[in-house]
Amino acid sequence: MTLDQEIDGVRQQLQQDLSQINPTQATLETLRIRYLGKKGIVPALFRYLPKLAVEERPDAGQMLNQLKNETEKALDDLHQYLIHQQENRATFFDYTLPGKRPPVGHLHPVTRTMNAIIDIFRRMGFSIAFGPEIETDYNNFQALNFPDNHPARDMQDTFFIDRDILLRTHTSPIQVRTMLQNKPPIRILAPGRVYRNEAINPRSYCMFHQIEGLYVDEQVTFAELKTTLDIFAKQFFGAGVKTRLRPSFFPFTEPSAEMDISCFICGGSGCRVCKQTGWLEILGCGMVDPNVFRSVGIDPEKYTGYAFGMGPDRISLLKYGIDDIRLLFEGDIRFLNQF
Amino acid sequence: MNIYSKWLAKYVTLPEGAETLAHLLTSLGLESNVIPNAYDTLTGVVTAEIVTVGKHPGSDRLSICEVNDGHQSVTVVCGAPNAAPGQKVMLAKPGAILPNGMKITSSRVRGILSEGMLCAEDELGISDDHSGIMILDPATPCGMTIQHYFESRGFTLSVDLTPNRPDAASHIGIARDLACALDRDMHLPRIELTENEPSTASAITVSIDNPVGCPRYAARIVKGLAIGPSPDWLAEALQHVGIRSINNVVDAANYVLMETGHPLHTFDYREIRRKQIIVRNARSAEMVTTLDGIQRQLNEEILLICDGERPVAIGGIMGLANSEITEQTTDILIESAYFDPGTIRKGSKYLGLQSEASYRFERGADPQGVIFALNRVTALIQELAGGQVLTGIVDNYIRPLSSPRVVVRFQRINQLLGVDVAPEWVVSKLRRIGCEIIAADQQSVTLISPSWRPDLEREVDYIEEVLRFYGMSNIPACTEIRIPLTAEHDNRHDHLESIRQSVADFGYVEVYNNSLVSEKLIGYGLENHPPVRLKNPLSLDMAYLRTELAPGLTFTAQRNIFRRNRDLQLFEIGFIQTLDPDSETHARETLKLAVLVSGLYSARHWDVSPRPSDLFNLKGLLEALAERYGWPQPEYKPSNHRLYQPVLEIMMVNQPIGWLMQAKPEYLRTTWDIEQPLAIMELNLDVLLSLLRMDRHYSALPVYPSVQRDLSIVLDERQLVDDVVKIIQQYGGSSLKEVRFYDLYQGKNIDKGQKSFTFSLVFQTAERTLTDEEVDHTMQTIIGALERDCQARLR
Repeated sequence: MTLDQEIDGVRQQLQQDLSQINPTQATLETLRIRYLGKKGIVPALFRYLPKLAVEERPDAGQMLNQLKNETEKALDDLHQYLIHQQENRATFFDYTLPGKRPPVGHLHPVTRTMNAIIDIFRRMGFSIAFGPEIETDYNNFQALNFPDNHPARDMQDTFFIDRDILLRTHTSPIQVRTMLQNKPPIRILAPGRVYRNEAINPRSYCMFHQIEGLYVDEQVTFAELKTTLDIFAKQFFGAGVKTRLRPSFFPFTEPSAEMDISCFICGGSGCRVCKQTGWLEILGCGMVDPNVFRSVGIDPEKYTGYAFGMGPDRISLLKYGIDDIRLLFEGDIRFLNQF
Repeated sequence: MNIYSKWLAKYVTLPEGAETLAHLLTSLGLESNVIPNAYDTLTGVVTAEIVTVGKHPGSDRLSICEVNDGHQSVTVVCGAPNAAPGQKVMLAKPGAILPNGMKITSSRVRGILSEGMLCAEDELGISDDHSGIMILDPATPCGMTIQHYFESRGFTLSVDLTPNRPDAASHIGIARDLACALDRDMHLPRIELTENEPSTASAITVSIDNPVGCPRYAARIVKGLAIGPSPDWLAEALQHVGIRSINNVVDAANYVLMETGHPLHTFDYREIRRKQIIVRNARSAEMVTTLDGIQRQLNEEILLICDGERPVAIGGIMGLANSEITEQTTDILIESAYFDPGTIRKGSKYLGLQSEASYRFERGADPQGVIFALNRVTALIQELAGGQVLTGIVDNYIRPLSSPRVVVRFQRINQLLGVDVAPEWVVSKLRRIGCEIIAADQQSVTLISPSWRPDLEREVDYIEEVLRFYGMSNIPACTEIRIPLTAEHDNRHDHLESIRQSVADFGYVEVYNNSLVSEKLIGYGLENHPPVRLKNPLSLDMAYLRTELAPGLTFTAQRNIFRRNRDLQLFEIGFIQTLDPDSETHARETLKLAVLVSGLYSARHWDVSPRPSDLFNLKGLLEALAERYGWPQPEYKPSNHRLYQPVLEIMMVNQPIGWLMQAKPEYLRTTWDIEQPLAIMELNLDVLLSLLRMDRHYSALPVYPSVQRDLSIVLDERQLVDDVVKIIQQYGGSSLKEVRFYDLYQGKNIDKGQKSFTFSLVFQTAERTLTDEEVDHTMQTIIGALERDCQARLR
């Protein structure tokens, strides 16, 4: 057997030993003694050197040194690996364990919607006004130009408590209360819970919420109303949203309008939510009717004003894609925890 | 209300396209949508000609038709009795899916291959006619798609009218707005009527007992007419607007109603006794049977149309069965009247009966349109049913109604709308909608509103009218808005929303419960305030306004627990109402915050063992909120209740602000079927908002170090922590800065009936460092006091 063959044999054996042993410090030490110890395999080969011809010695010496270096490196690598492994075990850290959370509650989706709407109008200088849920017929209807026995009353099915006492059907009586107590300029937002005597089903509920806005001052125009609501819609639904006003009827405003926004679900091309029209109706508005001003003692020749009202419940259904209004009032935490 | 395009086109030239028309009407405030046809999306249905019809060898009923669809000849097996050679028909080819879901295939029918189907009208969703296949105009070319064939058929719009526009509840009314918007001419129908003697006046007299309820009543009589089916054009026109054809006379009245918007009524003249019509108020509890066969009890405000002996119609609402038109009728009396809107509305409400007539009268019909509508319907009846029209009209109209005269200032229009419109343009538009212009200059126009527009009474009504035709989309945008500045700011809303957010941040889930509750639910409250009851509740389950939030919150907890959501931290902020005779609305409203816990407070977690929630979670929440909102230290007064134990009344500076309570297991089990403990806190937010203090005052940080001592004592188990703390504070002197209770122990090494308390005490002064001796001395004083006053001993 030539020295070349011997060296190759050692190389192969080392590879075999390394792949078969269970790597521990003890086995590493055994291997070191077997290959590099004084009586080890590699020093034994060096002992052949003197027996070789002089001219062969430099090459052979080089080969043997290379084998020695290779062997030392292989064992050293194993040593490093073992140290590393030991360190890893000592410092093992399961960063995937769940965190220690502070308690997390949730606001109701309608609260979120109301707050978002209110924030926008407060930036426009509206302040907040409140009023009671139980109202007089006068504040809820008569002062708002809903005469007795007028078909406009059919627009709002009413829960009565007494002949002239009722559950407010809109937050508009807050308008009346505010205008009775304050002089223009008046710039208020009136949020609150309202009631309608309507059957409960996925589309309607006997109570819901409303946010009304009112601005009364000298020279308030329909153009200003239109701009204000357009900016609101863009800030609330997204800057790309388009708005349109179309004439409508409310007893307490004249002219009256309804505002639609381009459907933010289909982008206006028509879908199930917008009933293929590309538009979603989101609020009613108009210029305060002179009869309303008269009933609260404000001179309709001197002052003009606008009012608008919207339903945060319905807007929540649209915005969050909720298909059944009853979910809002059931209190199921699996629903509420999504908000 | 439905509007049929071809009908509408009789009065004004329409713009091109169904959607264009719908958008235009919507922009005028007449919200319109095109009603889709069932055949709009059909494919594979084309016009075809029947070339031959042969008998089917395997069936008496079936025939074999050779049909040419314009490209090729196909064989179709047909079951209709009316198939004949030369007819133009609708062929559904294999692959077509009909509106009723039927899928057309090439298939063998009793051995003969049928390559399609000849369709009846109902199969195409055109009508419910299934008497035979639909036969088309003989001039129809073969191979046209069904959509192409029906293109000329027109379309139907559904128009959603606002209550102020009764005039638009008709084709002419809609056409008027269109003519004005498009600046096109209106074409009203020409009336051609042949009258014969004797006079109407000789055949009927009309007297009105109540001219306020019925200012005008006009009548005509047609004799010797023939009741029969209506011609196709009439039946189809009515079908398009959703009215079923009955006979030529009834259809004519319905047609003129939908044309002019004016309600008409036809009586069988032979049933009108003594040649008299008397309009009077009904007597209290008078009974009549209306056309729909229902017996109805009237009141004294309802108008009755009577003949010389008995009622024949409820005025403006519905006719009675005793005088209705039948197949045998030959002589009719036609009523065209104007009734007072309020009177009709009250009657309609009282009876719970709304008709096409009452809908229009209660919103305001056209008092001057009475005669036009009467003549129009009479002429139409004469044209369709023949007969002799008696000469003249009986028209009882003693006090003619007039339309208001109004001055509209152009500057006011511009001021209110924020536009700049030309006076000439305004005047021309107002003239087009039918206003009578009395005078106009550069400042204003004086006009009289058209009699069919009860909504035009004031200047502002005309400003709206100008805006409609100006177009809301043409209103210019503002570049800036004015914001009135004020030094006053009411923080109530900010504070309320901050509290709401805090409770959510502390881990609670906000719910909205129904404010309308049952009497039973109110009974689960704590305070028993008298509730407010609704007069017309949806159901007994929702007949009262809630007097407390806790019962509703318990109800919501139950729903969650039944759905296996067992770990609950819920809260609600809302108004409650209770009776208060001194209030204008006989009710007092209070804003409340209620919080409920049940199940595990902290869920199972690898680092924390699960802990069931209890009353102390709620007490801790209140303490945290009190710190955040600057509320005074809450105090608790034990109380008793049949449903709750323990019950603590919460006080702040001697004001009651709410309750803290644990529901009794027995109550939870029997009433709610709940087996897990449940605690509730209900707080009066009105009081809490008034006590809220967001300002803070800084105290200088101590310069000298503090000394901390622990104190463990054993004492009777019925001693309150608060009492012990008070004694410690009392004897701790001014250097005692803090007493914190941190351990409660019972069990091993502690005698039965005893417990151990451990406190951490912190001593500190602002002047110097305390010595151990000083603190030891104070501790001895405290311990002595505890031994004496609480029978405690050092542990």
